[in-house]
Amino acid sequence: MRAERIWGAIRFVITAVSMFAVWLLFTASFGTFSLVAGAIGSLLIAALTYDVFIAKHQANLRFFLPNPLHLLIYFFVMFFFIYQSSVVMLAAVITGRVNPRIVHFRTRVRSDVARMVLANSITLTPGTITLDLNDDHLTVHWLFCDTHHMKAAGETVKGRLEPYVQRIWL
Amino acid sequence: MRMIMMDVMQWYLLLCAVVCIIRLILGPTTADRLVALNILSGIVLAFLVLSGVRHGRSIYLDVALVYDIFGFLGFLAIARFLKDKMHGEGE
Amino acid sequence: MIMIREILALIAFSAAVIFGTAGLAGLFRFSDPYTRLQAGSLCGTTAVLSIFIGALLLSPTAAVSARIVIITLFFLISSPTGSHIVARFAWNIGVPHHDPKQKRTPVSRKKDTPS
Repeated sequence: MRAERIWGAIRFVITAVSMFAVWLLFTASFGTFSLVAGAIGSLLIAALTYDVFIAKHQANLRFFLPNPLHLLIYFFVMFFFIYQSSVVMLAAVITGRVNPRIVHFRTRVRSDVARMVLANSITLTPGTITLDLNDDHLTVHWLFCDTHHMKAAGETVKGRLEPYVQRIWL
Repeated sequence: MRMIMMDVMQWYLLLCAVVCIIRLILGPTTADRLVALNILSGIVLAFLVLSGVRHGRSIYLDVALVYDIFGFLGFLAIARFLKDKMHGEGE
Repeated sequence: MIMIREILALIAFSAAVIFGTAGLAGLFRFSDPYTRLQAGSLCGTTAVLSIFIGALLLSPTAAVSARIVIITLFFLISSPTGSHIVARFAWNIGVPHHDPKQKRTPVSRKKDTPS
Protein backbone atom coordinates (compact mmCIF):
# COMPACT_ATOMS: atom_id res chain seq x y z
CA MET A 1 0.00 0.00 0.00
CA ARG A 2 2.77 2.36 0.97
CA ALA A 3 4.77 1.74 -2.17
CA GLU A 4 1.66 2.40 -4.21
CA ARG A 5 1.20 5.81 -2.62
CA ILE A 6 4.82 6.76 -3.18
CA TRP A 7 4.50 5.70 -6.81
CA GLY A 8 1.35 7.79 -7.12
CA ALA A 9 3.15 10.84 -5.71
CA ILE A 10 6.03 10.38 -8.14
CA ARG A 11 3.63 10.15 -11.07
CA PHE A 12 1.80 13.25 -9.84
CA VAL A 13 5.03 15.27 -9.62
CA ILE A 14 6.20 14.19 -13.07
CA THR A 15 2.83 15.08 -14.60
CA ALA A 16 2.82 18.51 -12.94
CA VAL A 17 6.40 19.25 -14.02
CA SER A 18 5.74 18.30 -17.63
CA MET A 19 2.54 20.40 -17.68
CA PHE A 20 4.47 23.37 -16.35
CA ALA A 21 7.21 22.88 -18.95
CA VAL A 22 4.64 22.95 -21.74
CA TRP A 23 3.08 26.06 -20.18
CA LEU A 24 6.47 27.81 -20.19
CA LEU A 25 7.02 26.73 -23.77
CA PHE A 26 3.71 28.22 -24.92
CA THR A 27 3.63 31.45 -22.96
CA ALA A 28 7.38 32.14 -23.22
CA SER A 29 7.17 34.76 -20.46
CA PHE A 30 8.59 34.85 -16.94
CA GLY A 31 6.27 37.39 -15.32
CA THR A 32 5.05 36.68 -11.79
CA PHE A 33 1.39 36.34 -12.75
CA SER A 34 2.16 33.99 -15.61
CA LEU A 35 4.37 31.75 -13.47
CA VAL A 36 1.90 31.54 -10.57
CA ALA A 37 -1.10 30.93 -12.80
CA GLY A 38 0.78 28.23 -14.71
CA ALA A 39 1.89 26.52 -11.49
CA ILE A 40 -1.60 26.47 -9.99
CA GLY A 41 -3.15 25.30 -13.25
CA SER A 42 -0.65 22.54 -13.80
CA LEU A 43 -1.03 21.29 -10.20
CA LEU A 44 -4.81 21.13 -10.51
CA ILE A 45 -4.75 19.44 -13.91
CA ALA A 46 -2.09 17.00 -12.72
CA ALA A 47 -4.28 16.08 -9.73
CA LEU A 48 -7.08 15.28 -12.16
CA THR A 49 -5.17 13.48 -14.87
CA TYR A 50 -2.00 11.89 -13.48
CA ASP A 51 -3.63 8.48 -13.56
CA VAL A 52 -4.29 8.83 -17.29
CA PHE A 53 -1.05 10.55 -18.23
CA ILE A 54 1.13 7.82 -16.73
CA ALA A 55 -0.74 4.56 -16.30
CA LYS A 56 -0.28 2.56 -13.14
CA HIS A 57 1.30 -0.46 -14.82
CA GLN A 58 4.24 1.63 -16.10
CA ALA A 59 6.35 0.36 -13.24
CA ASN A 60 9.69 1.95 -14.04
CA LEU A 61 10.94 5.49 -14.41
CA ARG A 62 12.81 4.54 -17.58
CA PHE A 63 9.46 3.64 -19.16
CA PHE A 64 8.56 7.27 -19.75
CA LEU A 65 11.64 9.37 -18.98
CA PRO A 66 13.75 9.50 -22.13
CA ASN A 67 17.50 9.37 -22.29
CA PRO A 68 18.19 12.94 -23.51
CA LEU A 69 21.38 12.24 -25.47
CA HIS A 70 19.87 9.34 -27.38
CA LEU A 71 16.68 11.34 -27.92
CA LEU A 72 18.72 14.06 -29.64
CA ILE A 73 20.58 11.49 -31.74
CA TYR A 74 17.27 9.87 -32.67
CA PHE A 75 15.89 13.24 -33.76
CA PHE A 76 18.66 13.76 -36.31
CA VAL A 77 18.64 10.12 -37.43
CA MET A 78 14.90 10.48 -38.02
CA PHE A 79 15.50 13.57 -40.16
CA PHE A 80 17.89 11.56 -42.32
CA PHE A 81 15.46 8.64 -42.56
CA ILE A 82 12.57 10.91 -43.58
CA TYR A 83 14.54 12.39 -46.48
CA GLN A 84 15.88 9.01 -47.56
CA SER A 85 12.43 7.46 -47.58
CA SER A 86 11.02 10.43 -49.47
CA VAL A 87 13.53 9.83 -52.24
CA VAL A 88 12.45 6.17 -52.36
CA MET A 89 8.82 7.29 -52.52
CA LEU A 90 9.68 9.76 -55.27
CA ALA A 91 11.10 6.92 -57.38
CA ALA A 92 8.01 4.82 -56.66
CA VAL A 93 5.69 7.62 -57.79
CA ILE A 94 7.65 8.08 -61.01
CA THR A 95 7.99 4.41 -61.94
CA GLY A 96 4.68 3.27 -60.44
CA ARG A 97 6.16 -0.06 -59.31
CA VAL A 98 4.57 -0.86 -55.96
CA ASN A 99 3.65 -4.09 -54.23
CA PRO A 100 1.38 -3.22 -51.33
CA ARG A 101 0.62 -5.78 -48.65
CA ILE A 102 -0.52 -5.79 -45.04
CA VAL A 103 1.90 -7.40 -42.59
CA HIS A 104 1.62 -8.16 -38.87
CA PHE A 105 4.50 -8.41 -36.45
CA ARG A 106 5.41 -7.94 -32.81
CA THR A 107 7.75 -5.44 -31.26
CA ARG A 108 10.20 -5.89 -28.42
CA VAL A 109 9.91 -2.44 -26.81
CA ARG A 110 7.84 -2.52 -23.64
CA SER A 111 6.66 0.93 -22.62
CA ASP A 112 3.63 2.65 -24.09
CA VAL A 113 5.49 5.82 -25.05
CA ALA A 114 8.19 3.87 -26.87
CA ARG A 115 5.56 1.87 -28.76
CA MET A 116 3.84 5.09 -29.78
CA VAL A 117 7.12 6.58 -30.98
CA LEU A 118 7.98 3.38 -32.85
CA ALA A 119 4.57 3.37 -34.56
CA ASN A 120 4.95 7.01 -35.59
CA SER A 121 8.47 6.38 -36.89
CA ILE A 122 7.22 3.42 -38.90
CA THR A 123 4.58 5.69 -40.39
CA LEU A 124 7.27 8.14 -41.44
CA THR A 125 9.77 5.71 -42.98
CA PRO A 126 9.61 4.32 -46.48
CA GLY A 127 6.28 3.07 -47.62
CA THR A 128 4.91 1.88 -44.32
CA ILE A 129 1.90 3.08 -42.37
CA THR A 130 0.87 1.72 -39.00
CA LEU A 131 -2.75 0.69 -39.24
CA ASP A 132 -3.23 -0.67 -35.75
CA LEU A 133 -1.30 -1.00 -32.51
CA ASN A 134 -2.51 -3.54 -29.96
CA ASP A 135 -0.20 -3.91 -26.95
CA ASP A 136 2.89 -5.16 -28.79
CA HIS A 137 1.22 -6.25 -32.01
CA LEU A 138 1.59 -3.91 -34.99
CA THR A 139 -0.45 -4.04 -38.18
CA VAL A 140 1.43 -2.30 -40.95
CA HIS A 141 0.58 -1.47 -44.55
CA TRP A 142 3.80 -1.92 -46.50
CA LEU A 143 4.20 -0.53 -49.98
CA PHE A 144 7.36 -2.31 -51.15
CA CYS A 145 6.70 -5.80 -49.89
CA ASP A 146 9.19 -8.45 -51.01
CA THR A 147 8.53 -11.37 -48.68
CA HIS A 148 5.67 -13.52 -47.42
CA HIS A 149 7.35 -14.43 -44.17
CA MET A 150 5.92 -12.23 -41.44
CA LYS A 151 8.95 -12.31 -39.17
CA ALA A 152 11.33 -11.33 -41.98
CA ALA A 153 8.92 -8.59 -42.99
CA GLY A 154 8.89 -7.27 -39.44
CA GLU A 155 12.69 -7.27 -39.30
CA THR A 156 12.86 -5.31 -42.55
CA VAL A 157 10.30 -2.75 -41.49
CA LYS A 158 11.31 -2.06 -37.92
CA GLY A 159 14.88 -3.41 -37.89
CA ARG A 160 16.62 -0.08 -38.34
CA LEU A 161 14.40 1.84 -35.95
CA GLU A 162 13.91 -0.46 -32.98
CA PRO A 163 17.48 -0.33 -31.54
CA TYR A 164 17.36 3.47 -31.45
CA VAL A 165 14.01 3.48 -29.65
CA GLN A 166 15.21 0.82 -27.22
CA ARG A 167 18.11 3.03 -26.25
CA ILE A 168 15.83 5.98 -25.45
CA TRP A 169 13.12 4.24 -23.48
CA LEU A 170 13.24 0.80 -21.97
CA MET B 1 15.60 37.95 -53.11
CA ARG B 2 14.16 36.41 -49.96
CA MET B 3 10.82 38.16 -50.43
CA ILE B 4 10.56 36.85 -53.99
CA MET B 5 11.36 33.33 -52.85
CA MET B 6 8.72 33.40 -50.14
CA ASP B 7 6.13 34.90 -52.48
CA VAL B 8 6.79 32.17 -55.04
CA MET B 9 6.49 29.50 -52.35
CA GLN B 10 3.20 30.96 -51.18
CA TRP B 11 1.79 30.84 -54.71
CA TYR B 12 3.04 27.27 -55.04
CA LEU B 13 1.32 26.28 -51.79
CA LEU B 14 -1.88 27.88 -53.02
CA LEU B 15 -1.64 25.75 -56.18
CA CYS B 16 -1.06 22.63 -54.05
CA ALA B 17 -4.14 23.47 -51.98
CA VAL B 18 -6.23 23.78 -55.14
CA VAL B 19 -5.01 20.39 -56.38
CA CYS B 20 -5.78 18.87 -52.99
CA ILE B 21 -9.29 20.29 -53.06
CA ILE B 22 -9.79 18.78 -56.53
CA ARG B 23 -8.87 15.41 -55.04
CA LEU B 24 -11.21 16.16 -52.15
CA ILE B 25 -14.09 16.76 -54.55
CA LEU B 26 -13.26 13.84 -56.89
CA GLY B 27 -12.40 11.24 -54.24
CA PRO B 28 -14.72 8.28 -54.73
CA THR B 29 -14.66 7.06 -51.13
CA THR B 30 -14.67 8.73 -47.75
CA ALA B 31 -11.15 7.50 -47.05
CA ASP B 32 -9.87 9.31 -50.15
CA ARG B 33 -11.45 12.53 -48.97
CA LEU B 34 -9.88 12.17 -45.54
CA VAL B 35 -6.47 11.58 -47.16
CA ALA B 36 -6.81 14.80 -49.13
CA LEU B 37 -7.92 16.67 -46.01
CA ASN B 38 -4.91 15.35 -44.10
CA ILE B 39 -2.51 16.69 -46.70
CA LEU B 40 -4.43 19.97 -46.93
CA SER B 41 -3.90 20.56 -43.22
CA GLY B 42 -0.14 20.23 -43.68
CA ILE B 43 -0.21 22.69 -46.58
CA VAL B 44 -2.18 25.21 -44.53
CA LEU B 45 0.34 24.88 -41.71
CA ALA B 46 3.26 25.56 -44.06
CA PHE B 47 1.38 28.54 -45.51
CA LEU B 48 0.85 30.04 -42.05
CA VAL B 49 4.54 29.67 -41.17
CA LEU B 50 5.68 31.18 -44.47
CA SER B 51 3.27 34.06 -44.07
CA GLY B 52 4.51 34.76 -40.56
CA VAL B 53 8.15 34.77 -41.67
CA ARG B 54 7.34 36.87 -44.72
CA HIS B 55 5.78 39.65 -42.66
CA GLY B 56 8.08 39.17 -39.67
CA ARG B 57 5.18 38.74 -37.27
CA SER B 58 5.41 36.03 -34.65
CA ILE B 59 1.68 36.18 -33.92
CA TYR B 60 0.98 34.17 -37.10
CA LEU B 61 3.36 31.53 -35.82
CA ASP B 62 1.37 31.25 -32.60
CA VAL B 63 -1.69 30.53 -34.70
CA ALA B 64 0.31 27.93 -36.63
CA LEU B 65 1.47 26.30 -33.39
CA VAL B 66 -2.06 25.92 -32.04
CA TYR B 67 -3.29 24.68 -35.42
CA ASP B 68 -0.45 22.16 -35.48
CA ILE B 69 -1.17 20.73 -32.04
CA PHE B 70 -4.96 20.64 -32.15
CA GLY B 71 -5.39 20.01 -35.87
CA PHE B 72 -5.40 16.25 -35.67
CA LEU B 73 -8.05 16.25 -32.95
CA GLY B 74 -10.41 17.37 -35.70
CA PHE B 75 -9.45 14.29 -37.75
CA LEU B 76 -10.03 12.10 -34.75
CA ALA B 77 -13.53 13.53 -34.32
CA ILE B 78 -14.38 13.22 -38.04
CA ALA B 79 -13.03 9.66 -38.29
CA ARG B 80 -14.83 8.52 -35.13
CA PHE B 81 -18.10 10.13 -36.21
CA LEU B 82 -17.98 8.63 -39.72
CA LYS B 83 -17.05 5.22 -38.36
CA ASP B 84 -20.00 5.17 -36.00
CA LYS B 85 -22.30 6.35 -38.77
CA MET B 86 -21.10 3.71 -41.25
CA HIS B 87 -21.37 0.91 -38.72
CA GLY B 88 -24.86 2.09 -37.87
CA GLU B 89 -25.82 1.87 -41.53
CA GLY B 90 -24.13 -1.51 -42.03
CA GLU B 91 -26.10 -3.21 -39.28
CA MET C 1 26.52 35.18 -44.44
CA ILE C 2 23.09 36.36 -45.55
CA MET C 3 23.91 35.19 -49.06
CA ILE C 4 24.77 31.70 -47.81
CA ARG C 5 21.54 31.52 -45.84
CA GLU C 6 19.52 32.55 -48.87
CA ILE C 7 21.18 29.95 -51.08
CA LEU C 8 20.53 27.22 -48.47
CA ALA C 9 16.92 28.37 -48.20
CA LEU C 10 16.62 28.22 -51.98
CA ILE C 11 17.84 24.61 -51.91
CA ALA C 12 15.33 23.76 -49.16
CA PHE C 13 12.48 25.39 -51.07
CA SER C 14 13.44 23.53 -54.24
CA ALA C 15 13.36 20.26 -52.32
CA ALA C 16 9.93 21.24 -51.01
CA VAL C 17 8.68 21.87 -54.55
CA ILE C 18 10.03 18.54 -55.81
CA PHE C 19 8.65 16.46 -52.96
CA GLY C 20 5.35 18.33 -52.85
CA THR C 21 4.77 17.82 -56.55
CA ALA C 22 5.60 14.13 -56.17
CA GLY C 23 3.15 13.78 -53.30
CA LEU C 24 0.35 15.44 -55.23
CA ALA C 25 1.15 13.32 -58.29
CA GLY C 26 0.96 10.26 -56.06
CA LEU C 27 -2.48 11.35 -54.92
CA PHE C 28 -3.75 11.06 -58.49
CA ARG C 29 -1.55 8.23 -59.76
CA PHE C 30 -2.26 5.45 -57.29
CA SER C 31 -5.53 3.65 -57.15
CA ASP C 32 -6.49 2.85 -53.55
CA PRO C 33 -6.74 5.00 -50.43
CA TYR C 34 -3.85 3.34 -48.58
CA THR C 35 -1.32 3.89 -51.35
CA ARG C 36 -2.53 7.45 -51.86
CA LEU C 37 -2.11 8.05 -48.16
CA GLN C 38 1.42 6.61 -48.30
CA ALA C 39 2.53 8.90 -51.12
CA GLY C 40 0.65 11.95 -49.94
CA SER C 41 1.51 11.85 -46.28
CA LEU C 42 5.19 10.98 -46.62
CA CYS C 43 5.99 13.40 -49.46
CA GLY C 44 3.73 16.05 -47.93
CA THR C 45 5.49 15.75 -44.60
CA THR C 46 8.87 16.07 -46.25
CA ALA C 47 7.76 19.09 -48.27
CA VAL C 48 6.39 20.87 -45.21
CA LEU C 49 9.52 20.00 -43.25
CA SER C 50 11.69 21.47 -46.04
CA ILE C 51 9.60 24.64 -46.01
CA PHE C 52 10.11 24.87 -42.25
CA ILE C 53 13.87 24.55 -42.69
CA GLY C 54 13.85 27.25 -45.36
CA ALA C 55 11.74 29.54 -43.19
CA LEU C 56 14.09 28.89 -40.27
CA LEU C 57 17.02 29.99 -42.41
CA LEU C 58 15.20 33.16 -43.50
CA SER C 59 13.66 34.09 -40.15
CA PRO C 60 14.31 37.73 -39.20
CA THR C 61 14.32 37.51 -35.39
CA ALA C 62 15.16 34.97 -32.71
CA ALA C 63 11.56 34.80 -31.46
CA VAL C 64 10.36 33.71 -34.90
CA SER C 65 13.04 31.03 -35.26
CA ALA C 66 12.36 29.62 -31.77
CA ARG C 67 8.69 29.28 -32.64
CA ILE C 68 9.56 27.58 -35.92
CA VAL C 69 11.70 25.04 -34.07
CA ILE C 70 8.84 24.27 -31.67
CA ILE C 71 6.38 23.99 -34.56
CA THR C 72 8.75 21.57 -36.33
CA LEU C 73 9.03 19.38 -33.23
CA PHE C 74 5.27 19.20 -32.79
CA PHE C 75 4.76 18.64 -36.51
CA LEU C 76 6.99 15.57 -36.35
CA ILE C 77 4.59 14.18 -33.74
CA SER C 78 1.27 15.35 -35.15
CA SER C 79 1.77 14.52 -38.84
CA PRO C 80 2.23 10.72 -38.52
CA THR C 81 -0.52 10.69 -35.91
CA GLY C 82 -2.90 12.29 -38.39
CA SER C 83 -2.03 9.84 -41.15
CA HIS C 84 -2.32 6.97 -38.68
CA ILE C 85 -5.82 8.15 -37.75
CA VAL C 86 -6.85 8.23 -41.42
CA ALA C 87 -5.29 4.81 -42.12
CA ARG C 88 -6.90 3.29 -39.06
CA PHE C 89 -10.26 4.72 -40.13
CA ALA C 90 -9.89 3.13 -43.58
CA TRP C 91 -8.79 -0.19 -42.02
CA ASN C 92 -11.62 -0.21 -39.50
CA ILE C 93 -14.38 0.41 -42.01
CA GLY C 94 -12.82 -2.31 -44.16
CA VAL C 95 -11.53 -0.56 -47.27
CA PRO C 96 -9.95 -3.34 -49.37
CA HIS C 97 -6.31 -2.83 -50.26
CA HIS C 98 -5.04 -3.16 -53.79
CA ASP C 99 -2.83 -6.18 -54.40
CA PRO C 100 -1.18 -6.64 -57.82
CA LYS C 101 -0.47 -10.36 -57.28
CA GLN C 102 -4.04 -11.29 -56.48
CA LYS C 103 -6.21 -11.07 -59.55
CA ARG C 104 -9.43 -11.73 -57.66
CA THR C 105 -10.97 -8.98 -55.60
CA PRO C 106 -9.22 -8.79 -52.25
CA VAL C 107 -11.22 -9.91 -49.26
CA SER C 108 -11.77 -7.21 -46.73
CA ARG C 109 -11.30 -7.92 -43.06
CA LYS C 110 -14.86 -7.33 -42.01
CA LYS C 111 -17.64 -9.24 -43.69
CA ASP C 112 -20.46 -6.82 -42.98
CA THR C 113 -18.89 -3.72 -44.45
CA PRO C 114 -21.05 -1.30 -46.39
CA SER C 115 -19.82 -0.98 -49.94
